[in-house]
Amino acid sequence: MRRTDEIMGMPITIDVRDGDRGTDEAFAELRRIDAIFSPFAPDSAVSRINDGRLRVDDASAEVQDVLARCERHETATGGFFSAWRGAVLDPSGYVKGWAIERACAILDAHGHRAYFVDAGGDVRTRGESDAGEPWRIGIRHPVERGSVVRVVLGGDLAVATSGTYEKGGHIYDPHTGAPADELVSLTVVGPSIVEADVQATAAFAMGARAIDYLEDLQGYEAYAIGPDLRATWTSGFDALCAAS
Amino acid sequence: MRRALTAFAATVIGVYWLVTFKVTAEPIDVPVVTVPSPRVTTAPGQRTPQPTARTTTPATTGGVSGGTAFTGPTVETLFGPVQVQIALSGGKILDVQALQLPSDRSRSARISQYSAPILRSEAIQAQSARVDVVSGATYTSRAYAQSLASALKQAGQ
Repeated sequence: MRRTDEIMGMPITIDVRDGDRGTDEAFAELRRIDAIFSPFAPDSAVSRINDGRLRVDDASAEVQDVLARCERHETATGGFFSAWRGAVLDPSGYVKGWAIERACAILDAHGHRAYFVDAGGDVRTRGESDAGEPWRIGIRHPVERGSVVRVVLGGDLAVATSGTYEKGGHIYDPHTGAPADELVSLTVVGPSIVEADVQATAAFAMGARAIDYLEDLQGYEAYAIGPDLRATWTSGFDALCAAS
Repeated sequence: MRRALTAFAATVIGVYWLVTFKVTAEPIDVPVVTVPSPRVTTAPGQRTPQPTARTTTPATTGGVSGGTAFTGPTVETLFGPVQVQIALSGGKILDVQALQLPSDRSRSARISQYSAPILRSEAIQAQSARVDVVSGATYTSRAYAQSLASALKQAGQ
């Protein structure tokens, strides 16, 4: 069963290979998370924090927990990932991966062993797409619609891509406040969707240093595309890909 | 990526081609620098070698098809030699192929890095690639084109 709903301002697809149990619950959880953490919904906790109606200290334990984890990622990435842009809270870069993880946990609890969850191009796969067949995750070509530049093969795998082509310069360097535009696309592949998503966002903000930085990140591989349409990738990336 | 660009820019020879990409659904001409500008192995004072017109495809793997083929000079980069061939017709680039790419890890200062141009001919049609799902968020071609143009402007500085 494959179903796509528009949540968090993006299409979210859940594809389960064995029945559809738990998918309603997974989508409901994604909606619940969106209602609390959306920076666009006027009455979300995030919006209320931003317009001063809610103090962080008075927010729910879940909100405080998410913000604490954002802070840990901020420290771990040398400040290149941040839930704050100046005084404005936007934890979307963390929440997206976390929401995918929550949806996956629900599918796991319902006994699913073969599925993927795709939230706006950030993908978590589990098991096989078919007996003996790995999932095939394409990396979108930044210019040519309908084309992919690489195909990553995965079992239990997370693939997160940050790009200027998503909404046009939506990632900012937290250190300068300037839009990050040294890369047009950066894909991070590894075991955790939260980590892959956060690292893709952080390294994208680093710009040209992204691959150097990600080369040293244990357990993760990456593929970057520059504005000259030159790709650079980490040493272990080729091994994850289908032969082209 | 910038590190490479900076290295290239330091020894710039200015050999680059502007490619006009056409976005399928919304035709927007986007100039794309397909060839970086690395140091060419020529004697001091010698003029930068210009791309040489060829009527036959050289004996290498790949090679462009259609139009008139031009083979660029082999240039040394931080990561190894690069040689590119393009196919031109009516001033438009039909195809670009890398004849040589820096794949020799021992030559690279940062031996774990790999780098190559993404070229039209290397793009895989998602359908033919049997892709279950695509990573890379919802596409907005106009926004991307603007972003790309702006990034190119900076890359060209």
